[in-house]
Amino acid sequence: MKYRKMVAFGLTAAMVAGMTITGSAEEKETVTLKWVSQGVGETGWEGITVPILEKFEEQTGIHVEAEFYAFNDLFEVIETKCASGNADFDVMSVDVTYVSKYGSSGYLEPLDGYFTDEEKAKWDDASYTAGVWDGTMYAAPENTSCQELFYNKTLLDKAGITLPENGPDNRLTYEQVADLAKQAQEALDPDGSQGIIGLDFQQVSRIYQMNMLANSMGGANISEDGYSLDGVVNTEPWIKAMTWYQGLVNDGIASRGYDADQLGDLFYSGKMVFMVGGTWTPSNMTCEDEVGCTYAPCFEGYEDQVATSTGSWYFGINAQSENKDVAAEFIKFFTLGEGSDMWLEINGDVPSRLDKQNEIAENPDANDTMKIAAYEAANTAYPRAVTPVFGEYSSVLDQAWEDVRNGADVEETLNYAVEQFDAAVAANK
Amino acid sequence: MGGIHIKNRWLPYVMIAPTVILICVFKIYPIIASVIQAFLSKDGIPTFDNYKFLFADKTFWNSLKVTLKFNIIIIPVQIVISFIMALLVNAKVKGIEGFRTALYLPFCVSLTVSTVIWQMLLNINNGVMNSFLSLFGVRPIGFLIDKKWALLSIILISSWRGCAYWMMFFLAGLKGIDRSVYESAKMDGSGFFSTLFRITIPLLKNTSLFVLVANTTANFLLFAPVQIATEGGPQGSTDLLMYEAYKAAFVYSNRQRQACIVTILLVIVIGVCVIQNKFMTEKEA
Repeated sequence: MKYRKMVAFGLTAAMVAGMTITGSAEEKETVTLKWVSQGVGETGWEGITVPILEKFEEQTGIHVEAEFYAFNDLFEVIETKCASGNADFDVMSVDVTYVSKYGSSGYLEPLDGYFTDEEKAKWDDASYTAGVWDGTMYAAPENTSCQELFYNKTLLDKAGITLPENGPDNRLTYEQVADLAKQAQEALDPDGSQGIIGLDFQQVSRIYQMNMLANSMGGANISEDGYSLDGVVNTEPWIKAMTWYQGLVNDGIASRGYDADQLGDLFYSGKMVFMVGGTWTPSNMTCEDEVGCTYAPCFEGYEDQVATSTGSWYFGINAQSENKDVAAEFIKFFTLGEGSDMWLEINGDVPSRLDKQNEIAENPDANDTMKIAAYEAANTAYPRAVTPVFGEYSSVLDQAWEDVRNGADVEETLNYAVEQFDAAVAANK
Repeated sequence: MGGIHIKNRWLPYVMIAPTVILICVFKIYPIIASVIQAFLSKDGIPTFDNYKFLFADKTFWNSLKVTLKFNIIIIPVQIVISFIMALLVNAKVKGIEGFRTALYLPFCVSLTVSTVIWQMLLNINNGVMNSFLSLFGVRPIGFLIDKKWALLSIILISSWRGCAYWMMFFLAGLKGIDRSVYESAKMDGSGFFSTLFRITIPLLKNTSLFVLVANTTANFLLFAPVQIATEGGPQGSTDLLMYEAYKAAFVYSNRQRQACIVTILLVIVIGVCVIQNKFMTEKEA
């Protein structure tokens, strides 16, 4: 009896041990990371990141299951998942503006333990710092971004317009560009039936891009403590910048009724003469028209205050993830390793990595878009608002830009924005 | 000829248990949780601060005003139109089934899809509506971007689909009225309007009460068209309370604010429904 019991015990122990060993081996072999991100479709991130994810799997044996959402939906998805302590995903794409919010809300795992000082020094300071909140690194930069003035050369040629000589120390002014745009519209589409837009902003009614107008007149984005707009946006630079923009819309030079998802497409399809946009613009063209680019404009009388939007997407680890080490490995691959090389090559974004920035600066064959981007990133990039209440900030000011675009009184709108923001963040102070 | 005799007295309870459980879990529990959350701080401490912050917020008061204005317009509009539609498709005409189907069809399109379609139709730059109006020399109207038009456009979008739905209830009510009542009225020389106001509408009282209460609830909780087409703008002119609650929860991550708004909406809807119920019942008495 005793013998039978011992045999039974031994067999059970062996089975349990066998299952454990097998389980561990399988777990290592079949670990799957889940990444939530934005950019649905074949031409979006969903399509263009496929080779990068395949390369990562080839090198590490780790499969990355990526889930892509529309730009605005991603924020809701992250908010909903993280607020409920969801552990069903490991890595998230974080818009730079949300680093402080997600960091302070405990949604992101601190990355200081995963990245050495040497690794951190591989990014430019602005990119690295934007991933830090309250002294802790929460996110790693995928790339940065920068704004330039793109123009449809074909349309300008048809209109018989030549751009004046310009450069980083002799920029075109917004007023000049607006005049040229108007002339082009009058020549190309005198009765407005073609719907040609003169000058517009790729990310219209989004603070990412629109705030650079106020910044270019010396306006700040938010108070130093990150909790107030009073004395910041209800000031002369903002009023002047918004009034100028409203005039542009009222004169029919800039559009009304299109959103940021549509406006880029209008330039890509040859329906817009000038567009302030990101470095990805030329690669997105869908028509045969030739595209040119130059430095971002400045306002007359504010030539020394040029400001361009910057910052882009980051990678963060879900604080509830059960695969944090592997997630960090994936993030390093995508932000510093071969994945980063592939990404910069495929998407044509401005690198956050210093070695890649130097490569562009030193390469005489680098294209104009990237050279200008490298210059703007180093000289005119204006950091976005850093605040843990970015959702409120963005919602209130996006709406303010859109309201002004649609004809609302500028001062009234800005004062209302201040009140709205103050009330919305009162509970967080 | 008695009805079905159930020997096991627990069987009916067992049969309805799944429904009751689902309603409790997915309807009652979230409501109670929201009401409680509205009185708790982020750290779970009981407080009235959430309401204090909300009542000090001009955006909330604007949103409340917009919600009431929206409902004061849309509820009677939808009820009158759907009732007229029901009267039309209740007529004895050859091929009336085809008309019924056509008028009910909008409800078969999801609210999200119909909003996107209307968004395109009402676009200021290339929308069909503006192209049509331009034939008469009307300048382009910013249906969804002009604060004078935006709320009306949301009412149009919601009603296009909603009227089809409520029409079916009125139609069912009309079908339930005994034809002999109409025949007697006709023999007594009653005209169309006399029959309508003295026979049809009074006999549809129960149906009307249901439609009124259900329609009020549905419209106070309307969300999708605002989120898709206007995002509460322009200048807060379509900022319904449900959209404010959504923003509080998913954009601001402020669950307390969202819970307060939802609780206030709940109180308003219950209040309005009680008044409607009382009014309709008293009228009968």
